[in-house]
Parts: sequence; structure tokens; C-alpha cells
Amino acid sequence: MFHVKQSKPTTFDILVVGGGHAGIEASIVAARMGMRVGLVSMDFATVGRLSCNPSIGGSAKGHLAKEIDALGGVMPRIADASGLQFKMLNTSKGPAVWSPRSQNDKDLYPLYAQNAVLSTNNLTVINETVTEIVVERDRVTGVRTLSNEEISAKAVILCSGTFLNAVMWTGTDSTNGGRVGERPAEKISDLLTNHGLTRGRLKTGTPPRIAKGSIDFTKLEPLSGDEVPAPFSMHTRRVRNRLACFASRTNDATHDLLRIGFTRSPMFTGLITGAGPRYCPSIEDKIFRFSDKSSHVIVLEPEGMSTDTVYVNGFSTSLPQDIQDAGIRTIPGLKDASILRYGYAVEYDFFFPYQLTFGLQTKAIQGLFFAGQINGTSGYEEAAAQGLIAGINAALFLRDEGSFTLQRSEAYIGVMIDDLVNKNTEEPYRIFTSLAEYRLLLRIDTVYDRLMPHGRRLGLIDDGVFNRFERQSLLRDQLETDVRTSKITPEIANPYLASLSEDPIPETTTLFSLVKRPTVRISPLLNLAGRTSASIRHEHPAALHAAETQMKYEGYIQKLYRDVERYTEQEHMMIPTAFEYSRVQSLSTEGREKLQRIRPASLGQASRIPGVSASDVSILALYLR
Amino acid sequence: MVGNTKVGSDTICALATPPGVGGLAVVRVSGPKAFEMCDLFFQGGVRIPHAEGHTIHYGWWIIENQRVDSATASIFRAPHSYTGEDVVEIGCHGGVFVVEQITTSLLSSGVRLAQPGEFTRRAFINGKLDLTQAEAVADLIHAESRVGAQTAARQLSGGFTARLANLRQGLLDVIGLLELELDFSEEDVEFVDRTTLLRTLSEIISDIDATAATAHSAEVLRAGFHVAVVGYPNVGKSSLFNALLQRDRAIVSDVPGTTRDYLSEVIFLDGYSIHLVDTAGLRSTEDQVELQGIALTTSLIEQSDLIMVVNDASLGRDHSVSLLMDLKGRFTDIPTVTIQNKIDLIPGYDANLDTDDIVCSAQTGKGLDGLRGYLLEAVRVSTSGVSDVLINARQAHLLRSAAESLRSARSGVEGGLTGDLLAVDIRSAIRLLGDIAGESWNPDVLESVFSRFCIGK
Repeated sequence: MFHVKQSKPTTFDILVVGGGHAGIEASIVAARMGMRVGLVSMDFATVGRLSCNPSIGGSAKGHLAKEIDALGGVMPRIADASGLQFKMLNTSKGPAVWSPRSQNDKDLYPLYAQNAVLSTNNLTVINETVTEIVVERDRVTGVRTLSNEEISAKAVILCSGTFLNAVMWTGTDSTNGGRVGERPAEKISDLLTNHGLTRGRLKTGTPPRIAKGSIDFTKLEPLSGDEVPAPFSMHTRRVRNRLACFASRTNDATHDLLRIGFTRSPMFTGLITGAGPRYCPSIEDKIFRFSDKSSHVIVLEPEGMSTDTVYVNGFSTSLPQDIQDAGIRTIPGLKDASILRYGYAVEYDFFFPYQLTFGLQTKAIQGLFFAGQINGTSGYEEAAAQGLIAGINAALFLRDEGSFTLQRSEAYIGVMIDDLVNKNTEEPYRIFTSLAEYRLLLRIDTVYDRLMPHGRRLGLIDDGVFNRFERQSLLRDQLETDVRTSKITPEIANPYLASLSEDPIPETTTLFSLVKRPTVRISPLLNLAGRTSASIRHEHPAALHAAETQMKYEGYIQKLYRDVERYTEQEHMMIPTAFEYSRVQSLSTEGREKLQRIRPASLGQASRIPGVSASDVSILALYLR
Repeated sequence: MVGNTKVGSDTICALATPPGVGGLAVVRVSGPKAFEMCDLFFQGGVRIPHAEGHTIHYGWWIIENQRVDSATASIFRAPHSYTGEDVVEIGCHGGVFVVEQITTSLLSSGVRLAQPGEFTRRAFINGKLDLTQAEAVADLIHAESRVGAQTAARQLSGGFTARLANLRQGLLDVIGLLELELDFSEEDVEFVDRTTLLRTLSEIISDIDATAATAHSAEVLRAGFHVAVVGYPNVGKSSLFNALLQRDRAIVSDVPGTTRDYLSEVIFLDGYSIHLVDTAGLRSTEDQVELQGIALTTSLIEQSDLIMVVNDASLGRDHSVSLLMDLKGRFTDIPTVTIQNKIDLIPGYDANLDTDDIVCSAQTGKGLDGLRGYLLEAVRVSTSGVSDVLINARQAHLLRSAAESLRSARSGVEGGLTGDLLAVDIRSAIRLLGDIAGESWNPDVLESVFSRFCIGK
């Protein structure tokens, strides 16, 4: 149905290497910013694959997805179009951690992604394997391909995923490759190392996929989507839930069986040396480290409408195949399960991201940008967000227009990139809400206010969507004004308050004074006070929610804004790039070493580097004054 | 290269022992040229630049071939010195002349006179002391009492830092659990038990409160116990002053810089310093006592820990009652005591009369021991809160702010607020506690959690 463009120019403004979630965003955004872009992929059919779970979003990752939408990225639109189930997570836990998540059709997602690439002007797809990044005098000039052809470009964005020196493991059997059936990239890693970049090794894993027909669903608890499913993207009008997931649990028998395979585990026998993510442990890791727990949750996620495969979430493993078979069959509902694809671990090279600028350009090689797993991150959303930022910055770099950086107080994307540049990645980096010190400001109901003006300024938001955003903001402000100015009498308010077991009011008061009470909602209040038509309240739940959150938590929000201001001074105290830390003997040894390596741009950035103590920061402040 | 020249790049010197006439004096020289500069003047068995660290050498301080004094040179090589830099401590005979000769010779060779506190500042900057320790040094220098000095010394050894670290760790454990609840989906983790959360918060709040509450006591230990002595003219204030001073007068240096007020005298009782402050306003007026409008008097009384009203008992025991009532009304927080003076003028005055007043005669010395005992007891009561730390106003302020944040978190838990809001307050408290000791403010809150809980699908 789609055609790879055959006319193949050999010179580009920007070449994007790798068509994963980072490469897709990077190539599309750069092309939309007027660059002539080539997207180089080993096989265009694999562009946009969901190589692990068939899902987008989740805790904090849903925030990233919304932020990508507000900046004009494509992931949220593709997730909406290929979505099978939509759910807002954490609604019982407070507005800062509300986070959307979708189940997606793993066959449809790549098709929509490929369509987005092919329908972008200025963007050429190149089916080639890149073997070499060409660098002349510390400046990138293009890439060389397997057919020994050189394609020249002024900038290169490397989004190679897990493919650098990748090795896949199931039991003690290993295959060279980054994903089942795909070859690894071998030379690039050494070449970059020769240019002075420092690499490390990480590990990640994926669970087995089983046949839908082999599952006894009567033994399982269904997990449905939201009653009123909401899309990720402002471009999407409506989404539907099409299927359910199912939950089960492991038991003692499962754990006993899996333990038998520990002697043949590549993890436990030391064959894999790369560090894996603590937050997403393999099942063998969970059993080994938490031996007191006799059961772990397993969620079965169907991978699509027209496929038979089901993803076994919670059962990531690299144990031998016979052990995987036996172990999985001890789980209720999976007695006759047949595994279609075994779980495996993959070990790969990454480059320590402290070697990057905030625009994700390498400091060692001008014009070379990194995005995604090559920076030590894990996750589709993390990769996509980096791809977007790298693409924008590569375009700005070539236009000589500086860089585009988001602050920690502004976006999870800002938190992530700041963390990457400052912290030493010892495990694959995943975004968490707890990483954001201004979490309460980075709610999903504020995402468009925070970021859409940036997207618009960069030329990435079209009129239609921007008008929609402005209308929503106006509506929210109107709702807020209504609540702040309207009054309500005890006769009208007290029955409602009584129904919530709230104290009655003695005299007429503003709606606003009632909103601070935890159980009081603004929609019924506006209704009782005869303000704002019911249709507006029903048709714009997002605006209503945003207005309510803003007012209910006003005190806390103001507190955080004051914090942001207080620390802005440090952020603006710049450290000269050539600053000689070695001459400041007073710095702690660890602090000096970290500062020398990372070379923070500001005192604020210095204060966030682990190992740099507040005393080190005070000392630097003395020098800089 | 920008700016790397301001701290520790030059060599400084200053007299390290109290100035004035004494047996011995020590001049401390610190900085990259300390050895080189002292070598210009010191002649001993070993040339200073070749001397090993932590050795002491006897020799002469010689200026232009003239022997100024016999002296010792103690060598401390960086980083094993108080400041972390190369340090020479020159021991010489005390006395203004010798010290001035030595200092002047160094200054003329390019050594700079240290600013007040500069050695300690360098020690802090060189990582020899953390912030609470550096503050303890300042407190030690200014400590007015033996107990104050001992407490500051304990703090210098890091006791306060350890206590802060404990409080902070307690909060990190709490926040770790909350973050876990927030960061993982409902199926994966259980909610933090709110009753346990309340109890832990309350415990930490009372710990912090107790520490902050020692601030006043610490101030008394640091700055001394201040007694405002007030009374109508001719009630015998001066003779009472003199009677107390005769035996217990504190030795106060005459060197400029030690702040002294002609209205104030210091006495030492059992290791505590007690400042007796005569109040100007009352002295200058004749019959009418006009406290209003006399700003100096008001501020002197406001800063005192006790108001002592001296009454001329020979004019009647209640002669000063209206003054006492006026003071009590205006300074409600400060305890008062009445001294019935001049009892020697009242034949047959019964000293054992049932009264809270102190009965004495400055003239004969009768009852003065009772007055001393009363003052000592008052000092002890006001410093009873101090155990092992001496906190200053900055630290007390940060502690109180931290406790306030935690109280807000506690009422949030009681009011059923969600974890994302509670976390705002608890994180702010953690940051404030970190600010006291100068620790990094951005801990990996999930770090401890991963080892204790199985999370992630």
C-alpha cells in the first residue's frame, strides 16, 4: 500500500539514522522545519515497530506523550489512530499523577507511523544499512552505507536503538542482533569511541508472546478501558475502546519451576554484564530478589485486532525456552498456553549522555545528534521526546538559530534531558513523576499552556489546532471567573454539601470559597448557582477539570511557583565553558571530577549533579561573583 | 580563565591568640606562599620549605639581620591543616611590639592581613568543615560561657550534622513510600498506610521542634544572660553593681572590636557569663519615670532575659510597685524580679519575710549570695533546653520552616489530601533540612525503595 520513494538524492541537510520512535519524530519535525531530510532505515517495513509492549503512555510516560503532542510531534496521533483501549491511570491519586495510557494494535501502529513519514514533504526514505558516520575535523559530513555509498549531510541524528553491538539472549544461547530477525550495527560504536566518546553497556528484556487461542479466559479477570475514553492528541476528535486486557498471578509452583532454570540464566551466570532497569525487573529477578513474595501480577495484553499474539506483561525473561514453557503453564488461565515467541534479553552499547548538549548534540562531533536508547534511555515515549528535541535542534543548528531547551519547571521533557546530561546513567533511564521537583506544575491539564506556544513559535502547530487550544484556554478561564465571582446561598448550597457530609454554610458565599473543600466539585456548584450551561460543562470535561484543579490546589501551586523563582537566580548564574575546575582546590574530589566531566552551563545545573555537594555549589558561587 | 583567583590564591596572616599582654602569642600564616614567606625571616635548624608537615622548629625571627625574638614554627602541609592550605604557626613571646614586628615583616613581603573569620572561611571552602561545623567555629569564638564553648566544640566534631542527617533520612523514607505510591499504577503497589504516615510525621515534627526550641538557650550560651537593671534614681543600683563586680567581674579585653557598652558589665557565675545592663532612660529622668519614648531603654530591656527592679526598701517595700507593674505590662514575655536593697537602713528588717523578692544590702554585702544564687538558677533554667547542639538563628529559622511544612503535610493527611500534594510539603522540608548542613538537595528518592519493594510489571 505504501511506496518507498525511489529517487534518491545523495546530499541532505539532515540524515536521521534509524526509524524507531526517536527517528520518526526527528525526521518529521526537521522536515517540517524546512530541512531536506533523509531517514535511513535497514528496512522501511520495520519503521515504527512496537518492539516491546503494545502500549503507549502510562505513569509519567503519558505526560511525555501529551507533551509531544503539544509540541507538534506525531506519536500521540499514531497512538490514537491505532489504539485499542484507553485508560486514565491514577485517577484516585491526585491530579499531578493522572496519566493516560493506551493499548495499541502492533500491526497498525507501524503502518500509521510509516504513513506519517511518507506524507511529510522534504522527507526522503532510504532503505540502507549505515555502517559508518563520516566525520571530518570533528564535524559530521554524512554517513557511509553497507553498499559503500556515501550520503552527505550537514547534520546526522543517530537513533540506533538497541542495535549498537547488540546481542540477544535466551538462556545461554545468544544471537547477534537488536531485535528478533534483525542484524546489529557493529562498526559505528567503535568509530564513535575513536572520536573520544565514552560508551557503556545496558540490558533490557521482553516477555514471551503467547497464542490467544491457547488462553482460558474464564479463569482471568478482565481489565477494561475508561467508560469515556480520551485521546492523547488534540488532533484526534474521538477514540473507542475495542478490547480488554486480562489479569492473572504467578504462584509458588511458577517460582519453583523458574528457579530450576537459574543455572542456565544469562543474567545469573554472568554472561550478560550490562545493567538492567530496576523498575522493570525480569520475572527471575523478582523471584530472586524478593523471595518472600509468593505471587506477582501478570497482565495479558492482546497485541492487535488481527493478530493471535498476546503480550505477557510482568513476565519479562531470558530463561531457557523449556523453562519459559513450563513456568508459564503454572499460571491460572495459561495451563495450555503455547508460546509463539520466547522472551529474551538484549544487551547493547549506549553513549553516556553527559557528552551531549541540552539540544542533544554531541560535544565531541559538531552536527552529530543522539536520540533514544543510544542515550541510555528506555521506552517509546522517552525516545520520541528526544527525537523531537534532537530534530528541532538540528534544524535550528543548521539555521544558526541557537537551541531549543525546556526547563525542569516547564516539562517532563526538560526534566528528562536535564537528568540525562547531569546524571550518570547506571541503568536504562525511564521517566518518573518523582523525578520532577515541580510535579504539581507539570500536570497533563496544563500541558498545552506550557508547551503549545513553543510548538506554535517553531511552526509545528497548525492554525486549526492552535485555535482549538486557544478556545479551550478561554473556556477554562471563563469557568474560573464564574466560580470566583458567583455567589451561592445556604438554601441552595447546603443540601449539596450535606450529601457530601460537608459542613453547611451559614451565609451566602462565593463558589470559590467552597471549592477548596476536598470533596466539593465545581460542576454541580455551577449548576446549582445557575452559571455556565450544562452543555458546556458536558462537552468540555478537560476545561472543567483544568479549572477545578487550578483552583483547588492554588495554594500548593503558588508555593511551587515561588520555588521556581527562588532557584531561577542559580539557573541564570552562568559558568564560563572554559572554567578551570582543577584550579579550585577547594572543591570536593568527587565534585570536581563530575564538574570537569559534565561542564555545567549554570550554577543551577551544577547543583543538580549527583556528587556535587551544596558546599561545592557555594564555593563555585564565591568564584563566580 | 575566569575568576579562579579570589579564594585562597593569596597568603594571609593574623594573630591567632587574644591580643594584649600575655606570655605567648601565635601568628598564623596560611596560603600557597606561607612557607616561602616565613622562610624569609625564620632561621632554625631546618629551612621551612623543607620541613615536614606536623613538625615544630625552634629558631629566630630575623628582620634585616636583627633578631626580633626567639620563636617556634609549627609546620602544617596542605591539606592537613586547619585551613586545608599550607600553614605556619609562629609562636613568639607575647606583647604588642614583637607581634607587630613579625606581622609587619610578613605584610611588607606581600602577605595580606586576614579578615575576621577568613581562616575558617578557607577551611570551609577547602572542605575541611561542613557548614554547621564552620558555624560552630564562629560560635566557639563568640561563646560567652564555658557550657557554650563545650557545646560548640561538640558541634564542631559533627554531632549536629549527624542529627540532621537522621531527621532527613526519616523523611526520605516517608517520601520514598509516597513516591512509590504515586509513580506506579494501582495494581502494582499498595497505598501508604495513612495512620502510620501521621505517626511518623508527628515524631519527626516533635524532634525538629525540640531542636529548634533550643535556639533561645543556645543564644544565652553564646551571647550570655542579659539582666536589665532598672530602678528609680538613688535606689542603690551602682553600689549593687559594684558589690557584684568586686568579686565576679569578668576580665574584658581592651582591644577595639570587643563591643562594650559603658552601661553594661559582665560577671561570671559558675562558668556562665551574666551581663548586667544599666538602663539609661531611667537614670536621666528625675521624678517622673518616662519609659515611653526612650527607645534605647526599651530596646535594651527587650533584649534581656530578666528584668531586675531595684527598690530602696528604706522608702517602703512598695515604693517601686508602679514601675514594676508598668514593666510587666510592657514586656510580658520577660520574667521580672524585685531587689529590696538598703535593708541595712531598716533596723530589725526581717530578711525571712515571706516574699519572692530578693532582700539584700549592697552596702554590707548581706543577702548578695542569695542574689547570686537566684541569677545562677535563672541562667540554668533558660539554658536547660540545650543538650548537644548549639543552633544559631539561621538554623533555627530553617528548622522552624521545615516543621511548618511538615505540619501542613500532617493536616493534609488528616484532611484526606492526595499524595502529590503531601509530597510538595515533605519535599520542601527535606530540602530545608539539607540546606542547614549544605547537603545536596536532589536525592534519589526512589533509590532506597527499589531495594525494599518489588515494583514494575
